[in-house]
Amino acid sequence: MLPLRDQLNGLLTILMYTFRKVILSRRIVITLLIAAFVAVVALYVGGQDVERLKDGTNLLDSLILFFFMPVLAMIYGSSLLRDEMDDRSITQVVTSPMDRLFIYTGYYLGLVVSVSALMLIVLTAGFLSFFGRAGIDGDAMGIYGSMAGLMVIGSIVYSALFMAVSVILDRPIYFGLFYAFIWEAFIGSLPGKIGTLAVKHYVRSIGAGWIHYGEISEFPASSMGDSAWVLLILTVILFVFGAYMFREKEFA
Amino acid sequence: MSAQPIQSGPYAGWVPVAPPAPGAIISARALSKWYGEVIGLNSFELDVLPGITGLVGPNGSGKSTLFKLVSGLIRPSVGTVTVLGQDPWANPPLMARIGLCPDYDNLPGEQTGRALLRFVGGLRGMTGPKLAARIEEVARIVNMAPHMDRRMGGYSKGMRQRMKIAASMLHEPELLLLDEPLSGTDPLGRRELIDLVHALHKEHGHNVVVSSHVLHEIERLTSKVAVVYKGRAVATGDIHEIRDLIDRHPHNIIVESDRLEELARRFVGMPTVVSVQYGEGRRSLVVQVSKPDEFFNAMPSIVGELGADMHKMQSLDDDLESVFRYLVR
Repeated sequence: MLPLRDQLNGLLTILMYTFRKVILSRRIVITLLIAAFVAVVALYVGGQDVERLKDGTNLLDSLILFFFMPVLAMIYGSSLLRDEMDDRSITQVVTSPMDRLFIYTGYYLGLVVSVSALMLIVLTAGFLSFFGRAGIDGDAMGIYGSMAGLMVIGSIVYSALFMAVSVILDRPIYFGLFYAFIWEAFIGSLPGKIGTLAVKHYVRSIGAGWIHYGEISEFPASSMGDSAWVLLILTVILFVFGAYMFREKEFA
Repeated sequence: MSAQPIQSGPYAGWVPVAPPAPGAIISARALSKWYGEVIGLNSFELDVLPGITGLVGPNGSGKSTLFKLVSGLIRPSVGTVTVLGQDPWANPPLMARIGLCPDYDNLPGEQTGRALLRFVGGLRGMTGPKLAARIEEVARIVNMAPHMDRRMGGYSKGMRQRMKIAASMLHEPELLLLDEPLSGTDPLGRRELIDLVHALHKEHGHNVVVSSHVLHEIERLTSKVAVVYKGRAVATGDIHEIRDLIDRHPHNIIVESDRLEELARRFVGMPTVVSVQYGEGRRSLVVQVSKPDEFFNAMPSIVGELGADMHKMQSLDDDLESVFRYLVR
C-alpha cells in the first residue's frame, strides 16, 4: 500500500478533482439559476414593508436552508460517484494503489466542500439582495454567518447520505427526489415526533440556538447539543456504510 | 495445464488445483465469473509468463472479464487468480505494480491530457517535478507530447488509445494490461500502437498482456497467445499454428472511407482479396481476404497513395467463430 503521506496526497488529488469537476461542470448553471431566482425573490421582498432581521431570516431559512439545501445536495451528491461509475472513468481511481477508504473519503470531502461552496453562492445572493436593500449591519452579518454555518453542517450530513445512496443504487436520483421533495419537505414539516425523522429538523434545531430572529429562533427544537450529536452519529454511520459498500463494490 | 484426478485415497476422483507455473506473472485456476445468469469466464485456466502475451477471442468471449479480475475491479465467483504472486482483489499494494488500459473509453473529454496524467499521478503518490518529468517522458513515449495541453474531447480514436496507455504506464508498472488497444484505430494509428507495445516491452521493460479480437493484430505483437472462447482458454501457445487454421477460413473486413470506389478498385487487384462488395447503403466495403496480414500490411501504403480518409477498418468476428469452434471441438 502507498505510505500514509501518499494516501493523503491521493485523497487531496481526488478532493481537488471533485471540486473542480463540480464547479466547472454544466450543472453549475443549476446553481446559478437558483441563486438568480433567490436574488430576485429576496430583492422583491427586501423592497416591501418588512421587519428587516425577522423577515430576512425567515426568507433565508425557508427558501435556502429549508428547500434548496437538500435539493442541491441531492443533485450533486447522488450523481458524483454514480456518473463516474456509469461512464467508468472511476476505473483510473479504483485501480490505483490507494485504499478505497481514502478514495471514498476524497470524494466525500470534495462533495462537502463543493456543496458548501455552491450553497454559499446561493446564500450570498439571497443575503445581499435582501439586506443590501433593507440594510446590512452587525446583526445581519451574524445571521449570514449562522446561516453559512448551517449550510456547511447540512452539506456534511446530506453529502454523506446521498453519496452512500449513490454507491448502493443504480438510479440514486429517484431516491434523492423522493427524499428531498417528499421526506425532507413534507415529513420534515409535520408537527410532532415524526418531524424529527428529517435531517433538517436537527439542522434547524442547531440554528435555533444560533439565530435570535425569525421562526427558526422559535423552532420547537431538540436541544442544540442533542441535535449536533444526532447529526454527527448519523453522518458517521452513513459515511462508514457508504465507504464499506464502496470498498466491497465490483466495477464490472 | 489441467491437473489429473487423484486416483486413490479419500480424495479419489478429485482434481487438485495445480500451482502456478514457475515464473508465471498471471495464473488462473478454475477461474469462473458470473454476472447474474451470464457467464463471463468458465473454469478458466491460464499461466502468463513474462514478455508480451496476446489474448485473442471474439467479442464477449471473456477477455475483458479476465482483465477486470486481474486488475482487481471484480472478484472471482469461483476459483483463483494470482497476479505477480498475489490475489488482486482488495490489494492496493499490488495495484502499484499493474497498469490497466481498459477497452472502453473512460477519458473525460473536458480535461486536457496533461491534467489527466497529473490526476493519475496524484493517485499513485507522484508529485512535483518528478511527476512533471515523468509526464513529459510518457508523453514522448506514446507520441503525444504536442497534444498534452489539448482537451481530450478533440482527440482522435488513436490519440485517445495512446493517452489511455500513457495513463496506465505512468507509474512504471511491472505488468501492463492493454485491453483491445488497437480497436477502432486507422491503419497508421494501428501500426504506431503496435510499435509502441513492442517498445514498452523491449525498451521500457514492461510485461504486457494485450487482447484483441483480431488474430493477425496479435500476431504482429507477439507469438505467445491464449485463445479465449466462451469464457475458456481453448488454446495457448504459438500463434503461427493458430494462424494456419484461420488462414484456411476467409476473413471478412469492413472498410469505411471517403474513397470507397477507388479503394474497391485497388482491392480487386490484390491476390489476397477473395471478394469485395458494398455494405448497407453503399457506405462501406466488405472485403473477404484469404491472408489478412498481407491485406493489413498493404493498407497504409494504399491509403497514403489515394489520400483516403479512413473512417473505420474492422475485422468482423464471424470469420473467427469457425476457428474457435474448431478449437473447442
